[in-house]
Amino acid sequence: MIRLRRVTKVYKGNIYALEDVTLDIEKGEFAFLVGPSGSGKSTFVKLLIKEEEPTSGQIYIADTNINELRKWKIPYLRRKIGTVFQDYKLIPHKTVFQNVAFALEVTGKSRHVIDQQVPEVLKLVGLGHKLDAFPDELSGGEQQRVSIARAFINRPPILLADEPTGNVDPSLALGIVKLLEKINSAGTTVIMATHDKEIVNTFRKRVIALENGRVIRDQDRGVYGYD
Amino acid sequence: MCTGMINVKYIFQETFSSLRKNAILAVAAIAVVAVSLGILGLVVLGWDVFSNMIKNTERKVGEIDVYLYDVTSEQERVAIDAFIRGIPEVDPTRVVYKSKSQALEEFKQQHPENPELWEYIETNPLPASFEVMTKDPKDVGLVSSKIKNEAPYRERIESVKTASQAIEKLESVFEKFRYIGIIFVVILSIISMLLVSITIQVAIFARRREIGIMKLVGATNWFIRWPFLTEGVLEGLAGSIIAILVVVLTKVWIWDQLAETLSFLKLGFTPWLIPVLVPLIAVAGVVIGSIGSLVALRRFLEV
Repeated sequence: MIRLRRVTKVYKGNIYALEDVTLDIEKGEFAFLVGPSGSGKSTFVKLLIKEEEPTSGQIYIADTNINELRKWKIPYLRRKIGTVFQDYKLIPHKTVFQNVAFALEVTGKSRHVIDQQVPEVLKLVGLGHKLDAFPDELSGGEQQRVSIARAFINRPPILLADEPTGNVDPSLALGIVKLLEKINSAGTTVIMATHDKEIVNTFRKRVIALENGRVIRDQDRGVYGYD
Repeated sequence: MCTGMINVKYIFQETFSSLRKNAILAVAAIAVVAVSLGILGLVVLGWDVFSNMIKNTERKVGEIDVYLYDVTSEQERVAIDAFIRGIPEVDPTRVVYKSKSQALEEFKQQHPENPELWEYIETNPLPASFEVMTKDPKDVGLVSSKIKNEAPYRERIESVKTASQAIEKLESVFEKFRYIGIIFVVILSIISMLLVSITIQVAIFARRREIGIMKLVGATNWFIRWPFLTEGVLEGLAGSIIAILVVVLTKVWIWDQLAETLSFLKLGFTPWLIPVLVPLIAVAGVVIGSIGSLVALRRFLEV
């Protein structure tokens, strides 16, 4: 599903965010991307959605070399990759329903499809009763669920979550990851960047550990491993 | 393909919500567009009225004045007189000789209220002249050049003046006004484009977060751009509608009334002017609006 070949990303000022990263993530996998802040997790996510270009190396998504992707095709790449961020990125003046519907409107779906699919997905994430609430009326955990619903509504083959539990109350964080696991079990490849040790150790999925931009460990059913 | 599927309702919702939030700047942009296009309309209208007036006047005036130097002898004068009357385009019954003393008398009659103009001069400064009428006013130019180039003793002729020379002078002055008007309109149009561009930049800035999210969920560039483009176009169009109202009302309420009461001025309008001018102003407004917003989109929306 996702293949990285000797990917290096150097930011201005000779800062190596990623260095010589080669790895494969198969269809339907669930992988934790772990490492302290500044280890290159966010850069990894940005490269996959082509928000940043690699300095060298190749990235393939579903057998397409995204380095060679034309600029106007980027939106279509992003429709195949759902993204969830630490800060939720919800639009404050839109309701829960409207925020999720937005992702469908953007792709030109009809009102009929929107009215049918949005409540369905919100029910899936456990917010079927809060369609008309505004983001600031929700808890952090609930806002992140809205964000996951928005990422998932286009049924993307890949879902990227960058520190999705970072701003969420620890007692609710587990529920967020369980939701991602549920989405994964339906066939979506999930990559979750995190530095939450407890979560990684609880779920025992594949762990890709980054340090100073290099992959220092890649193991199935792994643990967090940092102190 | 979804790029082509443009949700018109979505675009207009976004456009109007942005215009509302951005109301003060939008009003300023609309006002400047209205002023520049209004001036454009009034310049064109004024130019039309004036050029029609000149044409109407030219058609009715067939008079040529031939001024003679004081040294002209009687014999020379008679020869010139005979030559003028002999020109086929000249109406020989309407060639009048006016001597120096006749000219002075006429001048005195025309300015009875200030006798000091002639009381203190000892010699008569006014030249003798012929007043020549052509049969057809359109031959004024032909006849005056014949007199200038073919008359006997033409070294005695000081100058040949026609009414159209005066009109030409007026026309050249008016031409300058027209150029000033055009330059003014061009400058104002550029300013209004910039102002539209600024309102769109502010709108983009106000919605940068939303734009970021749109990119994230896979919105195409044009999906993001359209609402901003329509915002600029609507501002331009609103400005042009105001300008059109001003121009049409000026014509109906002011100039049509003026033409009626001052009919001797021969104010005239080209009948197709308004039907051409109105869509022209509307198109100009749309062009100003779209260029303004495209400039903003190019500079401030890297999608």
